[in-house]
Amino acid sequence: MMNAYFITEKDFKNFVSAMVQSLTVIGPVAKRKKFVFAKLESAEDLRLDYDVTLLPPKKEFFPPSQDMVRFEKDKYEGCISPQEKILLGVHFYDIKAIDMTDRLFREKNEDWNYLANREAATIIGSNIQTISERAFWGTVGKDVPPKGHDGFITKINGGYVYETRGDKGEALVKFGSFAKATDAQVKEARAVNENVMGKCPEKLNRSSKEIAEKVRKAFSKEAFWEALAEDCFSCGSCNIVCPTCYCFDVQDNWNLDQVSGARTRYWDACLTEDFAKVSLGGGATENFREERAERFRHRIMRKASYLNEKLGGPACVGCGRCSAACTSDIADPVNVINKIMEA
Amino acid sequence: MHCNCSYSDKNIFLPKETEILKVEQPTELEKHFTLKMKDGATMAFAPGQILEVSLFGYGEIPIGFASSPTRKDSFDIVVRSVGRVSKAINKLEKGQSVFVRGPLGSGFDLDKLRGHDVLIIAGGIGLCPTRSLIQYIMDRRSEFKKFTLFYGAKDPSQQLFLSDLANWRKSNDVDYYETVDKGDEKWTGNVGVITTLFKKTQISPDTRAVICGPPVMFKFVIAELDKVGIPRSNVYVDLERRMKCGVGKCGHCQINDKYVCVDGPVFSYADIEHLEEAL
Repeated sequence: MMNAYFITEKDFKNFVSAMVQSLTVIGPVAKRKKFVFAKLESAEDLRLDYDVTLLPPKKEFFPPSQDMVRFEKDKYEGCISPQEKILLGVHFYDIKAIDMTDRLFREKNEDWNYLANREAATIIGSNIQTISERAFWGTVGKDVPPKGHDGFITKINGGYVYETRGDKGEALVKFGSFAKATDAQVKEARAVNENVMGKCPEKLNRSSKEIAEKVRKAFSKEAFWEALAEDCFSCGSCNIVCPTCYCFDVQDNWNLDQVSGARTRYWDACLTEDFAKVSLGGGATENFREERAERFRHRIMRKASYLNEKLGGPACVGCGRCSAACTSDIADPVNVINKIMEA
Repeated sequence: MHCNCSYSDKNIFLPKETEILKVEQPTELEKHFTLKMKDGATMAFAPGQILEVSLFGYGEIPIGFASSPTRKDSFDIVVRSVGRVSKAINKLEKGQSVFVRGPLGSGFDLDKLRGHDVLIIAGGIGLCPTRSLIQYIMDRRSEFKKFTLFYGAKDPSQQLFLSDLANWRKSNDVDYYETVDKGDEKWTGNVGVITTLFKKTQISPDTRAVICGPPVMFKFVIAELDKVGIPRSNVYVDLERRMKCGVGKCGHCQINDKYVCVDGPVFSYADIEHLEEAL
């Protein structure tokens, strides 16, 4: 079921208020000069004019730490307990990323620690009103349309067009004074979303397919990767802020009582030094990606090439979070990919 | 503890309890456990597959099966004391519980080995996962042609499965050759790296070869197999990586675009030789 509705600016605020009063609504809110996805306490909190959030919305399904098994003496059980929530105001690039992690957690072995949270969420996108300094979503993975969301809000003159995609999106219509959108309003919304695509400050110049092939072929250019990774601190910030990174570590922890505890997964980062390291015994170790350049290369390969077949396009959505988060500003995929493509 | 039970059978991270039937200590660092599922079920697996073995409060580690699925009453694992989890597991005794998830990953495609000569080259702790295949071949000996086994250990004190080794030395079902990197006063056998065993016997180019050992060993053994003329599609490698989750999600075991824990740990060498990070 796909319907298009219109709501005036004033009524939109009431719509958000009504949802916040009866549902858990997560949306972009200001945090000093930046933005984060957080629970809305009131409609005033919602900042649909945000450029990009510090962390992507994946944390709502795949939290930075998540208990998977809890134990007490010799008893143990799983702890999948999804909370219903609305994710409001997700930009299209993050919608694409969520669709990718959905597929990756579902493929081969379905991971319900993620999928249950995901199914309990309603995702409502919104158009990009402010463009972040490092964004390149206009030129990355153009063949991969945003999908998997339940509705999409676009700001037009005098109000918002709300396009629903299925029952979950339709169920929210009752919270606001919506009218059926006119064809002209739907057209205007489409134009708003199309016009913004050309406005990113950074651009990739080639198709995803060309990039995937040439980046993969650049694997053996050791000197190239070493030069790029020379200032890498192996901190993993590029991974942590990435909406398509989903690597994790698993650790057991005891509670203070020392008889109960949990097996918990934590976000992990393939740029960190010990990510691929194993112990061989007797103090010997083997690190399968020991050098910074190898780890730096691995991230670029994963974003631009390795997962393309599975996902139908690159595992990068152009949000620019890694570029902004990198201490030495070497993580920017546009810089790396364009260098490879121009060589 | 609050359980949302509608999801309890969907949690791929929930392990099952096993009981330790027997513990042996073949070397200073290794313990050899014989396990049985606490619920009485038979562990159905292929040689080469792995388990995530765990102890609550300590963690999980990936371990290959060290016994053949033809022996249905129990299954074996060998744990080397190297870190927090393995050291805690190796303190366990007969009758205690250890927890497992599995079988996981992709093991040996036995149909590709049946009806052919088989050569297994195992270095160090690499004998543990290959023992599953060795037992399988010995249990169904008529299904395979000539069976040759090369085993290399650092020194005689590091040799595993001592009673197996004694049997294989005498057995007519396997041409067994062994070596140690460094002998001791009692050792009268071959001294040298595992590739020195190739001159002890004749290997046919129509052999299916299986390699499992420390990372450094693979390239040298493959060079020898190339010399014999075994096509790389008939060479199988059983790889070691940090298989943290075992279900193809956590990313730690990735080799280029492959996940060792689901696409492997057993690979045909022809399938991965183009992957720069494989060997």
